[in-house]
Amino acid sequence: MITIDRVSKIKGKTQILYDVSFEARPGRVTGFLGPNGAGKTSTLRILLGLDRPQTGTALVCGRPYRKIDRPLTTVGAVLDGSGAHRARTARAHLRWVAASNGLPGSRVDEVLEVVGLTGDARKRAGRFSLGMSRRLGLAAALLGDPAVLILDEPVNGLDPAGIRWMRGFLRDSAAQGRTVLLSSHLMGELAETADDVVVIDKGRIVLHSGLADVIGAHRTLEDAFFALTGTEAGGPW
Amino acid sequence: MVSPIRAELRKLLGLPTARVALVLGTLLAPVVVLLNAPYNRRALAAGTLPDPTQLGLRELGVGLIGALVLGVVVVSSEYTSTGDDAPGARQLTATLTAVPHRLRLLAAKTVALVLVVAAQAAVTAAGTLALTQALHGEYVPMPAPARVVAVILYWVLTALLAYAITLITRNGIVPLTLLILNSTVVSVSYLLTKVTDLAAYLPDIAGAHMFLRTEDFPVELAPVTAGLVMTAWVVALLAAGAVLFHRRDA
Repeated sequence: MITIDRVSKIKGKTQILYDVSFEARPGRVTGFLGPNGAGKTSTLRILLGLDRPQTGTALVCGRPYRKIDRPLTTVGAVLDGSGAHRARTARAHLRWVAASNGLPGSRVDEVLEVVGLTGDARKRAGRFSLGMSRRLGLAAALLGDPAVLILDEPVNGLDPAGIRWMRGFLRDSAAQGRTVLLSSHLMGELAETADDVVVIDKGRIVLHSGLADVIGAHRTLEDAFFALTGTEAGGPW
Repeated sequence: MVSPIRAELRKLLGLPTARVALVLGTLLAPVVVLLNAPYNRRALAAGTLPDPTQLGLRELGVGLIGALVLGVVVVSSEYTSTGDDAPGARQLTATLTAVPHRLRLLAAKTVALVLVVAAQAAVTAAGTLALTQALHGEYVPMPAPARVVAVILYWVLTALLAYAITLITRNGIVPLTLLILNSTVVSVSYLLTKVTDLAAYLPDIAGAHMFLRTEDFPVELAPVTAGLVMTAWVVALLAAGAVLFHRRDA
């Protein structure tokens, strides 16, 4: 369960989040949708205790992330990049992450297998492709077999087979009762994966509802999105 | 608390830069002793070497560069970009999602750094002093154990100083350049002692008086006082670094 309650954030002199509130529930995939720069990553960073909000609270299973002991056993998170120092091998990265939360070294080989990186375990993270980095980030998130998954743009950089695999993985995770929150600016992607949709635009939540309700009278999620955010399909180019 | 320390030890010892710092820092001083041996032997025999009893302790100094680099990379490695695909991504994100409590993380990092540098200093001091004994034993007595312990403490405090400064700058280049230049090429701290007596209380100058005696020096600090002065510097800078680390967005 993820609860974000009236979170506001000012960065420098610009307010980037205005009273952001929403929930993500267990057993469901919640899609966090918005154009680039709308505040998706900022919200997730506050949820993970990386950045501090000016006001409001962000709770995972009822507690602020910073207060969770051995958090990897509760929450698995994937933000931009793999989080691995480029000079480290995939295995060395996962081994220190496992050690930090008292997880057994055997979990490292298990998660490498899950994300399909067993053959690249001895490769340095700096030589990984974008898709491999995403997989390595996901492997670290899965080390503690967490009940909550938080993913920022998880399909970015994945090839079609990878995207298909990720979609199945997220659906399976929710089916097993996990809370899954993923951000995306790809509406088509969310339409395939999400049960609930939260739409953010210019730092404000403009809609929070079931997928079918969001689409509503619109033909597709894409139409609904452009109607809600008041932007036009196609850009200035 | 044991798990984060174990993770920080793994992280530090797994970095190629840290490994180079360990090897170089450990070998530099003994190599200098060997290279200087012919000159030192002649000077000792002729009685022209100033303060020969401290020869081994003086020649240990060059290895300090290893401790400096270790102190810097334990923090700077968290802030280097992890790849060209995601320029804003850094290891710090992984570190803080694994251990979100800022002060617990810093405590683990500090303990890991102290353990590694203390072990390195002990090995280097033992090796360098034993080598000096073997080469110049008849002129240079083995220093008292307390002075050897003071050397180890000096290395640990120097590494912590570099670590604290990097926590504040969040970038390894500035502290590394300043500290290495100051400890090898031109000692700005030493030059300042020619300008003002207060410079005797700078951390590197004061710290060295824990185990070295200098005669032509304006302010003579007793070893314990010297240790306290350097510790005060380290504690103050670490406190500033910790407050900033706690407050800043990652």
